Amino acid sequence: MNLLRRVAPPVLLGIFALVAWELTVSLGRIAPFILPAPSAIWHELVAQRQNVWEAALASGLNALVGLAWGTVAGVLAAMAASRFRLLSEVSIPLAAVLNALPIIALAPILNNMFESTSSVPRRLVAGIIVFFPVFINTLRGLREVDPTHRELMTSYAAGGWTFTRLVRLPGALPFVFTGLRQASSLAVIAAVVAEYFGGLQDGLGSRITSAAAFTAYPRAWAFVVGACLLGLFFYLATLLLERIAMPWKTRLIS
Amino acid sequence: MTAVSLANVTKVFNQGRPDEVTALSGINLVIGAGRFVSLIGPSGCGKSTLLRLIADLIPASSGTVEVAGKPATKARLDQEYGIAFQQAGLFEWRTVQRNVELPLELRGASRAERKARAAEMLALVGLADFAGHYPAQLSGGMQQRVAIARALAVHPPLLLMDEPFGALDEMTRERLQSELLAICAKTGTSTVFVTHSISEAVFLSDQVVVMSPRPGRITATIDVDLPSRDDAARQSPAYFDAITAVRRSLRGSDAAPDTATARDADAARGAGAVAAPSSRTPGPVSDAATAP
Repeated sequence: MNLLRRVAPPVLLGIFALVAWELTVSLGRIAPFILPAPSAIWHELVAQRQNVWEAALASGLNALVGLAWGTVAGVLAAMAASRFRLLSEVSIPLAAVLNALPIIALAPILNNMFESTSSVPRRLVAGIIVFFPVFINTLRGLREVDPTHRELMTSYAAGGWTFTRLVRLPGALPFVFTGLRQASSLAVIAAVVAEYFGGLQDGLGSRITSAAAFTAYPRAWAFVVGACLLGLFFYLATLLLERIAMPWKTRLIS
Repeated sequence: MTAVSLANVTKVFNQGRPDEVTALSGINLVIGAGRFVSLIGPSGCGKSTLLRLIADLIPASSGTVEVAGKPATKARLDQEYGIAFQQAGLFEWRTVQRNVELPLELRGASRAERKARAAEMLALVGLADFAGHYPAQLSGGMQQRVAIARALAVHPPLLLMDEPFGALDEMTRERLQSELLAICAKTGTSTVFVTHSISEAVFLSDQVVVMSPRPGRITATIDVDLPSRDDAARQSPAYFDAITAVRRSLRGSDAAPDTATARDADAARGAGAVAAPSSRTPGPVSDAATAP
């Protein structure tokens, strides 16, 4: 009942929007190259499901690799920055500058650095985009140590790595996941958009561009839907991971 | 056997800077083994600082601090004391049991030993059924009991407590006071207890150390000898006498820095009673509970 009440409104709104979209396109006689009807997109999605699935796997793998290395690098950099004051003073403005860069714009440049059949540039772009939110959030978490915890650990004569392992890292975990939730969707966007600039033609992004180039707009939209689903999957997987990693938070909700 | 001994201890914060503050000066205090001693005084009198000196969380500027016959730093490294603060300070990502196990874990105790000791301690504070819970699932009073169990987990000869019941409601506070006394009696632990509640200090302690601010120093040491330590004790004449004695010492230390102005103000109002007491004594007062 409770679940129904929570789930029903967004689902109903979604259905309403789809119906409105369908009616607008069919009654308003909108040309399919401007906006195809949802039924046409659905038709293409079913017809192309094998292609969409394979393209999603390819883009998803790139996003996953980028997410993984970006997260590891972000957490390690945050640990280093929280350890050495000078490093954090230097690195925070540097990270802000890095974030202000249109990182996606690096994709064509990176493409030239590697072979045309390489997935590395896409994975690099995804990782760089993931790095920033993870780094900033983790650093904030590592810095916020309860003074009572600090004094307790001093009284136990525990310092350095023991203190980091037992207090600072678990304490920063909620912050890491805040960063990761933003980063998971960003990684998918980056992996898909990076494909727009050439290279391997195996992912959702390259499928979207080639379908659009052939004026097969409903097919292009079908791959866009695939990209949406992939992003959603990444986000939900992160939420699930968060619940598993922090059982002390989930227990409270249930 | 002395649990804690401080000789000529001073503590100056920000030494040599414009915002230099003398937090404590000329502290001499000896606490016998198995004794329950409270430090009481107004905010800013340095009672928490004194506790942190004993715990070696901050170093003394001069003088010597000894715990269990060793320098304070050595005593800390040997985990000669357990400590509890006003905030329970439990680790929210650890279950109640794993919180209590933490000091044992850091000592390198085996898993079986940790488990047995945690079970023993949780039974002692009456939380055996909550071992698998997370701190956020417990009430404030229960969290504080877990913190006490954790402080006692290594069986330390000394227990240091910084206003541990300060954030609790009156009923919970009184129940935990009785529980704490029972635990201390059972384990024979010496206790140094910081509080700003006169009744709490008197009910719990064998000895109440009264402090005054700017700079923090000990103005009186009052022995409390209650016939028992139960609810009946809270009604006994000895209890009220001790409360009066502590209150008088506190007033004295309060009014001390500006006695003259207090007198002038009283004279101007034509008031007969003068706030500054004549019984203020610089050294320890023995058996002040019988003083009028």
